[in-house]
Amino acid sequence: MKATQSPSWARIPNAIFGWFDERIGLTGMITALLHMEIPRSAHTYYLGGITMFFFMVQAATGILLSLYYQPTPEAAYDSILFIMNELNFGWLVRSVHAWGANLMIVFCILHMLRIIVQGAYKKPREVTWMVGMGLLFITLGFGFTGYLLPWDQRAYWATTVGTEIAAAVPFIGRNILEFLRGGADVSALTLSRFLGVHMLIMPASLIAFLTLHIIIIHKQGLADPKAREDE
Amino acid sequence: MSNEKSSPKKLLPFWPHYILSELIAWYIMFGILLALAALVPMGLEEKANPLETPAHVKPEWYFLAVYQFLKVAAVFNFLGPEAPRLLGVFLPMLGLVALMFLPFLDRGKKRTARERPLMLLMTALVLIIVIGLTLWGQYS
Ligand code: HEM
Repeated sequence: MKATQSPSWARIPNAIFGWFDERIGLTGMITALLHMEIPRSAHTYYLGGITMFFFMVQAATGILLSLYYQPTPEAAYDSILFIMNELNFGWLVRSVHAWGANLMIVFCILHMLRIIVQGAYKKPREVTWMVGMGLLFITLGFGFTGYLLPWDQRAYWATTVGTEIAAAVPFIGRNILEFLRGGADVSALTLSRFLGVHMLIMPASLIAFLTLHIIIIHKQGLADPKAREDE
Repeated sequence: MSNEKSSPKKLLPFWPHYILSELIAWYIMFGILLALAALVPMGLEEKANPLETPAHVKPEWYFLAVYQFLKVAAVFNFLGPEAPRLLGVFLPMLGLVALMFLPFLDRGKKRTARERPLMLLMTALVLIIVIGLTLWGQYS
């Protein structure tokens, strides 16, 4: 019997990979990305990765919601009702987006706690830590701006008291509050700017900060709790 | 580059070992997320009405601690009429700034939790205060 040879169509993926590899060096890139080693004594409990996973879920479900959401006080509430009651699985997508937001915040904080407990913020990882703090603020900003969008009583009044926290700042508190609300009260202007921040500014900054976070981590490797720097 | 030295036996390959565990963790989280979303669906209250303040107005849970602290700060009244508001805003802010600059405040070389009891104690204390304030805010 002749040695079995794979049929010609089965060689297509390899051929395509080979074509690109020859030109842009895919093998080198993949090796650089994946062939790392991490200290066995570093226990991440996958918390950073899980936070990132929730962000990906938020991006996917958020894009789906944005296809039906209407950002004016008159239409917002009804468009959410439409998503929940008329759209196939719309209620589930919305529910996943809401739960995912809360879980992302929870896991972001858990991730930060593991960094503190394991001393992974110490030299030379100060920059990773500060970028991480930026990520925490962005994640909270996502939650704060997203909460208003359904325009129901809970959304409206949570935003009203939430922005009032800022008003307690001495001297400029009132200015911060009016900047956040786009006026004296929570209104159509508030909704527009919260949506803009939630759908454009926050995603762009989170992706930028996260890229930086990961690049630095990749370059330095994970912290080994057993090792002492500068010794 | 990292200047930590470890013998190869103490290292775990990122691919496929770490990645595989990470994917399993994601898979479990996805299950939990779907279960929560399906079993406890996100509701919707009445349409927003700026003229009708509901009985229990609260910010999102992750701002409750700060919100509650601002209320509790009324006890600083004995320091002067402006003290509650000033301290109510500045103490949490100071805490956040301290957290942000933690790597520069804590410059000890020791990393393992066992060797840093003070840090652990402080972390636990802050956690208890923040969780306490959050619960207080939720149930008041
Ligand atoms: C959106 C939020 C965040 C995401 C997606 C994220 C993602 C990650 C990932 C995937 C890692 C690799 C190791 C691991 O999984 O633990 C990591 C490490 C790290 N993160 Fe984050 N992170 C976030 C927020 C934060 C925050 C809030 C802090 C702290 C203020 C922080 C500080 C660090 C540090 C210092 C490391 C290096 C750990 C080490 O070398 O062992 N990150 N992050």
